[in-house]
Amino acid sequence: MRKILVTSVAVLSSLCISGGAMAQAKSGEIRVLLANHPYGELIKQSIPQFEKQSGIKVNVESLQESQLTQKLTTEFATKSSTVDVFMTRPLQEGKMFAKNGWYAPLTAYDFADYPKNIMGAASFGGKPYIVPLVTEWQVLYYRKDLLQQAGIKVPTNFTELEAAAQKLNSEAVAGIASRGKGAAAVTQLSSYVYNYGGQYLDKGTAVFDSKAAVDALRFYGKLLGTYGPKGVTSMSWENIMPLFQAGKVAMWTDASVFLGQIIDPSKTQVPVENFGIANFPAGPKTNAPFIVSSWGMSVAQQSKKKDLAMKFLDWATSKEMAIKGMVGNITMARSSVWSDEVVLSKINPGLIETRTFAAKNGTPVDRPYMSAVGEARDLIGELIIESINTKGTSANLEKMAKDKVNQVNGLLKDTGEYGK
Amino acid sequence: MNKKILSNVLFYIAVVLIALVVLFPFLWMLSSSFKTQVDIISWPPKLFFEPTLANYRKVFEEQDFLKYFINSTIVGGFAVALSLLLGLPAAYSIARFAQKKLAVFILLARLMPGISFLMPWYIIFSRLDLMDSYVALVLSHMLIALPIVVWIMSSYFEAIPRELEESAMVDGATRQHAFLAIILPLSGPGIITATTLSFIFSWNNFMFSQVLSMEKTKTLPIAVYNFLSYAEVDWGGVMAAAVAIMAPAIALTMIFQKYVVKGLTMGAVKG
Repeated sequence: MRKILVTSVAVLSSLCISGGAMAQAKSGEIRVLLANHPYGELIKQSIPQFEKQSGIKVNVESLQESQLTQKLTTEFATKSSTVDVFMTRPLQEGKMFAKNGWYAPLTAYDFADYPKNIMGAASFGGKPYIVPLVTEWQVLYYRKDLLQQAGIKVPTNFTELEAAAQKLNSEAVAGIASRGKGAAAVTQLSSYVYNYGGQYLDKGTAVFDSKAAVDALRFYGKLLGTYGPKGVTSMSWENIMPLFQAGKVAMWTDASVFLGQIIDPSKTQVPVENFGIANFPAGPKTNAPFIVSSWGMSVAQQSKKKDLAMKFLDWATSKEMAIKGMVGNITMARSSVWSDEVVLSKINPGLIETRTFAAKNGTPVDRPYMSAVGEARDLIGELIIESINTKGTSANLEKMAKDKVNQVNGLLKDTGEYGK
Repeated sequence: MNKKILSNVLFYIAVVLIALVVLFPFLWMLSSSFKTQVDIISWPPKLFFEPTLANYRKVFEEQDFLKYFINSTIVGGFAVALSLLLGLPAAYSIARFAQKKLAVFILLARLMPGISFLMPWYIIFSRLDLMDSYVALVLSHMLIALPIVVWIMSSYFEAIPRELEESAMVDGATRQHAFLAIILPLSGPGIITATTLSFIFSWNNFMFSQVLSMEKTKTLPIAVYNFLSYAEVDWGGVMAAAVAIMAPAIALTMIFQKYVVKGLTMGAVKG
């Protein structure tokens, strides 16, 4: 017995020592946290080149996005982080991270190549904190063959969209799909709200109980409740994309980021030439679909090696890397890469066309932009589900919207963002 | 006679039905792991398809799951071994000296939501420079394994007649010696149960490794998330990884199921 005890204590303490030695960072080393994202993959593959030219050793980890947020939050909140550079979602966690002082200011970085409206979500109090990496915008995906059979043109406004959905809807194929799963649907509803002339927030106050916003909610509910796939209120993109790829949906409004997978012949059952992409249809008021920077990169304020971290950031967000991303069908945020000859010859023309439109007319947010994004999305999500379940006819919707607006305002007040 | 045949037939129909319901998700997962992305999402589901090993190749070649297997084995193995070392004497003491309050206290540690331990652990381990070390993971997984060992073994020890060790002690053995030479050899099935169960619970644990491990010590349940990317899910990869992770747990259970069932009910009907 004693022998076992002695041995195990010895083994454990040796583990201790080796573990401790490993965790101690050396001076020429940085720690980088990336998301499981095509651009994160690209950076990861190219890191050996960076290490060679800079002499900096990079310890890199890739995490699924919610794990990434959780890990960053735990590390930063306990003030014991060793993270130097990380990927971040400006609209989802930007406000909260900035308020807690977790981003290091990037005053020396040259932001001239980035669209102005997108920089709005990457700056706080007039100072930039995030380098936008990737943008995405709302589009309409459709089945060319089905539209042709039905003898209809690609819808350009909401009236045509509804008429097309009605005509294309059958037992086997849903006329239209879009996210219906509460909180996940909030970003996709946003373009409908904007095109009706509404907004989620205005000057730090919740305003989605306006007539325009409620009309948009009703329209969204009517479309999906009547012509959407069965069980749409539990569907996010993970559920809709397979249906679309299997030929069970005629039209789908969602973010541009899915085009690559839709037209990948190894992932779809429909001949890929039958898939089309078009601008999001105009609403009664305007056509201003969302165009957002879904991912960015930042330096941690707690980093003790900010100079090395900045070197890595410059490299990872450089124009050269951005061109590599574009060639791999990743829609990068830098403006200049969209006019690069090599890129233009390789990228899908539908992406260029819809991006040009959205960059000019789009709205740079797709969700209530505040610290408590998650809670606010849950609240708006309830409205979406109510509207879909009643096919947009719920008599309660105005009252419910008012109620949720009060709750979101409460959240804004809790974090001191109300009215700002 | 006819009645008996009929009831037998009904019995087996019921067994098959229940088995189907229980096994359906598992079979779905197994078949999907051999399918291409197109076949996985095809509707109606394809019963006959051309099987592919591409998903398993992704799991073991591109993603290096072997490393995560080794990590999970090290963490689970050490956590269970140390839990046995501390838990067996503790369970014996609880059984023989009726330390019910102590037993409840240990159970409480198990019933507390794991997440409430994580923040303090995180702070302590990062101050000690133990983040991403096996030590931190092994210690945290002992929270899972130790209560299982103590609870299973204390009821097991209670079922062993006191007279056995008493007669040894009459012959001059110390209590420690009696425990080692008489009680432990009689407790084989119980120890196997406790080991199997606590190893499987550690093997499946997600939360502790999620926060306390990084690239070097990442365990299997975390590694499955490598197949979930932004705006993309590699279902084939997820399914193949899930099958690979479940295989050892299922194998362990099959081999030791006789003991596990016996060990779990041991002491359940004592007076």
